[in-house]
Amino acid sequence: MSMFLQACVNGLLMGGFYSLMGMGQNIIFGVMKIVNFCHGEMLMVGMYLTFILYTYLGIDPYLAVPIVAVTMFCLGSVIQHTLITPSLGTKSFTNLLFLTVGLGLLLSNGALVIFGSEYRSIRTAYSQTYIQLGPVTMALPRLISFGVLIVVTIALFAFLKYTTIGKQIRAVSQNPVGAEVVGIDVKKIYILTYGLGIALAGTAGALLTQFYTIFPTAGASFGFRALIVVVVGGLGSIPGAFMAGIFLGLLETMSALFISPSYSDLIVFMTFIVILVVRQTMIARRK
Amino acid sequence: MDSKRAVHIYHRNLAIAVGLILLVFALIPMAVKSPYLLNIFVLVFYMSTLSMAWNLLGGMTGQNSLGHAAYMGLGAYACCLLVVKTGANPWLAGIFGMVVVGLVAGIVFYPCFILRGPYFTLVSIAFGESIRQVIINSAFFGRASGVGLPFGSDSWVHFRFTSKVPYYYVGLLMMIGVYLVMKKIDRSKMGFALKTIREDEDAAAAIGINPTRYKIMAVVISAMVAGLVGFFYASYIRYIDPELMIQAKSTESVLPAIVGGAAYVEGPIIGGLIMIPLSEYLRANFSAILPGINMLMYAVALLVVIRFRPAGILGWYMNSRTKAFVDEKILRKPPLGVLEEVEMMGYRKGEA
Repeated sequence: MSMFLQACVNGLLMGGFYSLMGMGQNIIFGVMKIVNFCHGEMLMVGMYLTFILYTYLGIDPYLAVPIVAVTMFCLGSVIQHTLITPSLGTKSFTNLLFLTVGLGLLLSNGALVIFGSEYRSIRTAYSQTYIQLGPVTMALPRLISFGVLIVVTIALFAFLKYTTIGKQIRAVSQNPVGAEVVGIDVKKIYILTYGLGIALAGTAGALLTQFYTIFPTAGASFGFRALIVVVVGGLGSIPGAFMAGIFLGLLETMSALFISPSYSDLIVFMTFIVILVVRQTMIARRK
Repeated sequence: MDSKRAVHIYHRNLAIAVGLILLVFALIPMAVKSPYLLNIFVLVFYMSTLSMAWNLLGGMTGQNSLGHAAYMGLGAYACCLLVVKTGANPWLAGIFGMVVVGLVAGIVFYPCFILRGPYFTLVSIAFGESIRQVIINSAFFGRASGVGLPFGSDSWVHFRFTSKVPYYYVGLLMMIGVYLVMKKIDRSKMGFALKTIREDEDAAAAIGINPTRYKIMAVVISAMVAGLVGFFYASYIRYIDPELMIQAKSTESVLPAIVGGAAYVEGPIIGGLIMIPLSEYLRANFSAILPGINMLMYAVALLVVIRFRPAGILGWYMNSRTKAFVDEKILRKPPLGVLEEVEMMGYRKGEA
């Protein structure tokens, strides 16, 4: 029983990261209808940024979160403005897809060239602090990270729901032509959206650094899981993405506990394929 | 009769040009003795073939798969396991591998054709990763340690050689053979159906093309060619492991097609001939100081091509003055009107 509870908590804490990644991917996919295949690599860039800030400037990883988020927002905006917006005009889905794939290759191999393939980690004074809560043990950094995740999720939800820019983003995601007709600068919204999505990935990376090793391909598994979250949680839904992320985290730890840790990836992928096919078939039937 | 003669000269020049290119490729192993350089050529041949397999599905049908390394790996595994466990002839095992990959791809993707655009890409990734996970977790497939083919004396029957020259010729033949098949598909009814599906699937269905049927055909052929490459790879390297099927390899197999020009059957070959030697040169000379530099170059080339030449290198050439010059002065291509006139003559003769 205590093992089950422990697995639940671990799944919940890990699922939070999948949610955060999924939300970033969700708004990008929802607004521009392109899959951001470099989302995981953006998480990796966020990790390395936090690492640099901590090692060379001595900034605590949690204080670095806003700095990383702003930097990543700028990076995302620049990428959107210089690379993606011009290619959106060509209407070639293949090219758009491989544009983000190419960006992912550029970032992960760029990190390999700059930082080498060594595994790095950040160990702060409280990294090894554990909290005992009944039969469950939790590392303090994981708990803080989860708290920050919840705050970010609520802030994002409120931002999209109540602010003018948030409403504009939702309008563009529903109908870009209609949004342009009523006077929304669609190109500006694209830049904001991509920047915001990348900033969320960078935030997830910064929050991960204390209990995850940092290496050039660290983001790969998170990148694909973000896509799973988008598909399972539904397009354009922040609460859906949050629930789907938690579900994915729990699915992983539960299959590791009840079946075998080496099969947990396989089970995640298979569940994903089944959900995707069933869901799309239902949507097609409804039409 | 004058126009007929002009067309005849053009066709003769074209044949001479193609013959010369083939002759150069046939003679390279006589001139180049370095195994390292020959290895690069073999690499170009099988990567271009894999890229052509992708191009049938991605470039021609518009279904962007990111799981072709998994089909290739599956073909390699099917053929290796048959050879190792039953002692079958490798050539027959290669055919067996192709059939297995074609069947698996057809069965798995049949329910997935409801998915369009990015959703198809996602399933192809998940499917490829699932195959890899099954292999890593199964003792039958040798888990993560992989499978080796038996070594022995050189023989054509067992398709094993210590020299790289036979692999060069088989690889070249494989590439040319697959190219001819793809060219045939490109010009057939199926090719036009696939391109219509790429442009607008609903419109294709409305004019009587069955999208599911053609997409299944494209997936099966594409996966079978990938399986063939897997067979060639396994026979050449003589050892395979699940690392063969990782996501990065699938991406790598697409790059020649995108850089060369995904809309053309020749695109993957041109892209492969340019990109792979460059990548190998960087890997050999700089990877000790800067690991990852060759993939970094790949990524930069990909971004530059997509940003500035969206139709790829071949698409750029097709609309350039160089092509106009080559056509006019070297091949002596007559104007389009003359070509059509002569073609019509042929039809009229057939009627009479």
